[in-house]
Amino acid sequence: MAAPEQDTGFGTGTSGVSRIRGTAFEAVCLAATSFALVTVLVLLLFVAADAFRPLSADPGWHLVYFLTLVVPVLGLAVYYYRLDAPAGEVAYSTTGIPVVGLLVAGGMLVVIVELISVIELFALTLATAVSAGVIVAHGRVRPQAALERLGVIVLAPTVAVFGLPPAEFNTVFNWLTTQLGLGPVLQTRITSLRELVMMVPVLPADWLLLLITLTVPVAGLFGLFMGRRRDSRRDGLALLGGTVVLAAAGFVLGPLVGIGAEAWILATSFTVPPLAFYVEGVVRREEGTAGLVFPVVAVVGVLLGAVLVRQLGFAAPDPWLDVGFLLSPTSRTPADAGIYPALVGSVMMMVVIIVATFPVGVGAAIYLEEYAPSTGLVGKFVTLIEINIGNLAGVPSVVYGLLALALFIRFINMPTGSVIVGALAVGLLILPIVIISAQEAIRAVPDSHRQASYGMGATKWQTTRNVVLPQAMPGILTGTILALGRAIGETAPLLMVGLAASVRLAPNGFFDLGAAMPRQIFSWSTELEPAFRHGVLAAGVVTLLAVLLLMNGTAIVIRNKYQRDS
Amino acid sequence: MSTENNEDITSRPAGRAARERIYRYVLFLCASLSIFVTVSIVVILARDAVDFFGIVSPVEFFTGTDFLLSRGLYGVLPLVSGTILVTIIAAFIALPVGVAAAVYLSEYASERARSILKPALEVLAGIPTVVYGIFALVYVTPFLQALGLPLNTFNTLSASIMVGIMIIPMVSSLSEDAMSAVPDSLRQAAYGMGATKYEVSTGVVIPAAVSGIFSSFILALSRAIGETMIVVVAMGSRSRLIDFADPLSNLWQGNQPMTAAMVRINGADVVSEAGFKSMFAIGLTLFVITFLMNLASNRIAARYREEYE
Repeated sequence: MAAPEQDTGFGTGTSGVSRIRGTAFEAVCLAATSFALVTVLVLLLFVAADAFRPLSADPGWHLVYFLTLVVPVLGLAVYYYRLDAPAGEVAYSTTGIPVVGLLVAGGMLVVIVELISVIELFALTLATAVSAGVIVAHGRVRPQAALERLGVIVLAPTVAVFGLPPAEFNTVFNWLTTQLGLGPVLQTRITSLRELVMMVPVLPADWLLLLITLTVPVAGLFGLFMGRRRDSRRDGLALLGGTVVLAAAGFVLGPLVGIGAEAWILATSFTVPPLAFYVEGVVRREEGTAGLVFPVVAVVGVLLGAVLVRQLGFAAPDPWLDVGFLLSPTSRTPADAGIYPALVGSVMMMVVIIVATFPVGVGAAIYLEEYAPSTGLVGKFVTLIEINIGNLAGVPSVVYGLLALALFIRFINMPTGSVIVGALAVGLLILPIVIISAQEAIRAVPDSHRQASYGMGATKWQTTRNVVLPQAMPGILTGTILALGRAIGETAPLLMVGLAASVRLAPNGFFDLGAAMPRQIFSWSTELEPAFRHGVLAAGVVTLLAVLLLMNGTAIVIRNKYQRDS
Repeated sequence: MSTENNEDITSRPAGRAARERIYRYVLFLCASLSIFVTVSIVVILARDAVDFFGIVSPVEFFTGTDFLLSRGLYGVLPLVSGTILVTIIAAFIALPVGVAAAVYLSEYASERARSILKPALEVLAGIPTVVYGIFALVYVTPFLQALGLPLNTFNTLSASIMVGIMIIPMVSSLSEDAMSAVPDSLRQAAYGMGATKYEVSTGVVIPAAVSGIFSSFILALSRAIGETMIVVVAMGSRSRLIDFADPLSNLWQGNQPMTAAMVRINGADVVSEAGFKSMFAIGLTLFVITFLMNLASNRIAARYREEYE
């Protein structure tokens, strides 16, 4: 026991001095916390100003929109924040859902225009649906035959989508046998359902096919979900029917508005069902209904502003980042330069990255959390894997690029700079991040739930699939989306695998020479012309950051919802 | 989804055990893929690096003071010195700022301030590095030039500043975790002896969390060493050794760290066999350095976790 009068080293100064010192220290720490935030915020403002050039507009233009849009929107926001928090959330969601829906629709439109025709999409969807039907039917007819079902799960989609053996396999195999002097050996194969559909000579018009392939399944899924949630089949059917009618109206209305029937159908398919479902829920719960005003006010504000500006003759700003920038390829003249091929390339890369990393990453996380033994030789190996994953997350991205260059391009001869090589390079990079975040999500599922499942005689896989995964899924999705956000901005691996600096045409297939947003931005950064540096480059950066913000926003919404529910 | 409801889970039909085993193997393969990735990185880098050392002797590589592809000079020292320069300047910014931010978040910030500042700092870590590079080139460099610093268009200072800002969230987040893990009883004991909040923060919390803070330093520096796009965009492509006679001139001029050199070699139109392979030798050097640093950081972090749990 220290004697009370012994000098402890604490509080020996006069209280005045130590208070000043404490306050100063706190202020320094606060300044440090804000330093990076403020710096980056200021830089972002500069970039945004370069991209949008707000000063190029008439002051009257700003005034009009300030009055019609900013004031009402801000007023509502303050009202929600102060007095009606649930309404604020409703406002946020009812505005966000159509925006996300429209973006998904835009993505689909790009896919249809650039990648696969509507007929191919139709054939693919039909084949997938039929194989899913076969699997479900098998489960009904022979519920006990577990191993057999595994075979069906593998075979049915293969036959329906690829044929048996897949055409590509035949080509490669026959090439090999011809090389060996045997001649083409595989002559016959079962033609896939997908190919059969493609051969049908008479098919309905594109917009009708699109209605069947996209609108009906999407609206059907939401209808099914709604029917279950509300316990009323009628509501679900009404949702399905309403959406289909509204989408079909696009045949007439689309061209009238000037966006084409396909674009109209896509837009309605992805915005109407979720929005109707959400709004119906809000009205039914009678909580935060005031928030429904918000999107109406915003839309009316924009329209009113547009009319007024035209009537009064105020000049709008002339931003670098406009529709033309988003929809045209890059160019030597700054005014014509756009980001479209790179945007398409990035979206295609995201598709490959999701397909390549999500199953493997989640599978690895399931093994490490649910299956891995902690003792014995395998246990040692598992510890090694865990340490290794942690370290891989810290390996510089440029090294992954080097790996992809050597492994995919030089070793297995994939085309240099193709979309798939770029995507695989970045996929390898984010794999450890996906695994680690999925592990955390799985670890958060309480053990008691697993024990309850085992207690009812479920096997390990049944427990994992029916108990652990559904609960961990929001967390896994959040982590994956954040990792994809990292992936979309990665540049160094793309440089290493030789992705094209500038592509005039968007890539048509995954083995085509690809472009990507960060790669395009980097090549603009090497231009010396000020119009590129402070114009096109800024517009590209803002586009990239906007996509990123959207992805992270989605992840945060999922996380918040999940945290509140649990 | 509806099929599960009619599944009779009390009986174990034939084949279920086999199916369980198949799932286990498939999942195990997924997990082992990470080992495969590491092994293939090492093998691939090492194979080409060995080829390279067959053409250029290791002595020349590790002691040469010039890196010029056009003249067949492959000394790695200027590249290493460029990397060290960037890392040191970034550390000067990120380490003190990061730790101070961690102290604020862990000891001073109200629950509300914390819930805003912490995610905001995480957002910074999510900004693509090419964007930081453009910030450095297009906005920071002209700003610093306007302040009167004799900077070249491509220079070390603004790139290093952006690298430093980029790694601040890493230092602050990991250090804050370590500080939050310090048991409250230690703080209470200090308060009980009449310590002020300042004294508790600097005299108790920071020393108790020092291993965690240290591990965050190593991890952040390893990130700075491996950072590619900022230095490629904003630092130019001339490699040079650190000039000790005129230390400040190092900041004003451009430089070429190891990562940037790899990108340049790969992007070069014509490159000799040795030049191409040198990329792998540099990559291997980089991989080994960062891998060891990460390993060390994890070791140190694991130790502090053991102490308090």
